[in-house]
Order: sequence, then structure tokens, then C-alpha cells
Amino acid sequence: MTDILKRDGKRATEPYNRAKLEHSLQAALHSVKAPAGQAEDTARAVCDRVEQWLLGRHEVTAHDLRRKAAEALEPLHPDAAFIYKNYKTIM
Amino acid sequence: MTALNLFAIIMLAALIHASFQLGISLLTLLSGHSLGAKSRHRKLLSLTGSFTLGAATMTALLLCSFAYAAVVFYGTTVPALVWAVTSGLLAGIGVAVWVFYYRRGAGTALWMPRPITAMLYTRVKSTGFAAESFSLGLTSVVAEIIFVAGPLIAASLSLAELPRSLQALGVVSYVLVATLPLVVITMLIGGGHKISRIQKWRENNKRFLQVAGGTALLVLGYYVYANIVVAQLALRGVAS
Repeated sequence: MTDILKRDGKRATEPYNRAKLEHSLQAALHSVKAPAGQAEDTARAVCDRVEQWLLGRHEVTAHDLRRKAAEALEPLHPDAAFIYKNYKTIM
Repeated sequence: MTALNLFAIIMLAALIHASFQLGISLLTLLSGHSLGAKSRHRKLLSLTGSFTLGAATMTALLLCSFAYAAVVFYGTTVPALVWAVTSGLLAGIGVAVWVFYYRRGAGTALWMPRPITAMLYTRVKSTGFAAESFSLGLTSVVAEIIFVAGPLIAASLSLAELPRSLQALGVVSYVLVATLPLVVITMLIGGGHKISRIQKWRENNKRFLQVAGGTALLVLGYYVYANIVVAQLALRGVAS
């Protein structure tokens, strides 16, 4: 099981949670008006790719996890990838 | 000062106020969250509309408060010294906008204390009702007070000098122009535009908006100094 190093320092680490990642990806896809079915399929495909990357890694930072997910999302839905990647720099 | 000159100051100040981006950032985030949570279109419109109404209300309240304070302290003739200080304030904020309005790097992150930004992010995430959205709109204007104080003060001093019959028109005009970008974004989102397109436009044009906002503040400062301060001093010289 891979541990995710949190950026804010409130909690040092938390175990990787596929449901959480899928939920955040679906939120980004819905925010750019992707149809519900497409959002679910795309989020699942991105999670699969991220999990392949996580294999053999015991610890990754939340930032790297987000970056990898955005990279995997980019070819599937560029608009959603843009929002997912830049969420923290909107304000 | 003629009413036309005073209206020109109010309108330019309102345009500068409109160029500031915190409200738009918050509105974009709020829409993103609402859409991401699969909210109904009606709820999305209710949230964005309430946010815009909140921002307009706080703008009107601040403008009226400043104008009232100006009338109480100076009556209907604001001293040249106060206009001179306002002119300096506008120039100072103009340079500040040029130098550090946006944070370095990609995105449209603004120069604001990080705890305030974190608090606003948390509030946007947990906003689910129109009343909360309205409060967020009120807060967005206060959170950006460092930058909007200049145009607000210039407009309120102009309002104090306007004839009473035109003061309400001045307040309404300022609020309408200052909240116009929020109204436009609300309409775009309501009309089905993707927030990714809106955000990409903002990112591509952020330097232009920064330079335009800073330059407009300097221009307003110069206009106030040349047209009011120098004119008042010249008149005093002629009288003596």
C-alpha cells in the first residue's frame, strides 16, 4: 500500500485511496460539463494508469499524485486536465 | 468641479475596481465546485447570482460609507490636501498593482495573505446555499480592500462633491460598472460556457489586465491631481 505525503502538514501521510482520487477526477470532469458516463469511464481509466505508476512506490507526495493524474487525464480530456492541474492557482 | 468631471472620476474608478480579479476567481471556483458536485443548473445560477449580488451590495455599502464619512468630515467641498493624499494613494496602489498583483508562476493566484486565501478556498468548498454564497460575495470585496480602497475613496470624495440629486445615480453607476465582470461571468456560466475556457482566457490575459489596472490607477491619480488639486490651488492664488 502506497502512502501519500500531504502538503499542508496537518497529517503527515495517509494511505492511497482510489475512491478519493476517482471522486476528485470526476468533479473536474463534471465541472467542464463532461457527460456522467464519460466522466466515470475517464476517471476509472486515469486511476488505472496512476495505480500502474504507484506500483513499487512506498511513498509519493500528494503533489506528484495530482501531477501524474493530470498527465494521464490530458490526452483523454484536455479541458478537465487543465482545471484539475490548475485548481490551486485559480486564486 | 463640474458634475461631468466628478462623474468621469467615478466611472474611471469603477472601471479600475472592475479590473480587480478576486471576485472573478472566487466565482470561477464556486461554479467549478457546484458543477463538480453535479448540482442542478438552477442551483448553479442561484449560487452565482447570489455571489454577484453580495459583491454588489458590499461595494455599494463601502462606497456609501466612505461618501458619508467624506460629507460628515468635509461637507460638500473636499479640501485640496485630501484630494492630494488620495492622488498619492492612487499612484501608490497603481505601482503596487504593476509590481505584485499576481503571484509569480502559472495560474491567476493573487498576491494575498495565504491564510485568507486558504479560508476563502474552504468557504467556497462548503458553500451550498444562496445565503452562504451571498456572504462569500460580501467577503470577496472586503478581502481585496487593499487594492479597491483607492478607487473607492476617489469615487466617494467625488460623490460628496456631486449635487444631491445626482448622488444616487453616481452610486448606482459605480456599482453597476464595478460588478459588470461578475455579471458577465455569471451569464457566461449560466449560458453553458465551460469554466476551463474562462480560466484559460484569464490566464492568457492576466498581464494585460495587471498593466491596464495599474496604469489606469496612475492615470486617475494624475487626473485628480491635475484637475482638482492644482485647480483649487490656482483658484486660491487668484483669490489672494
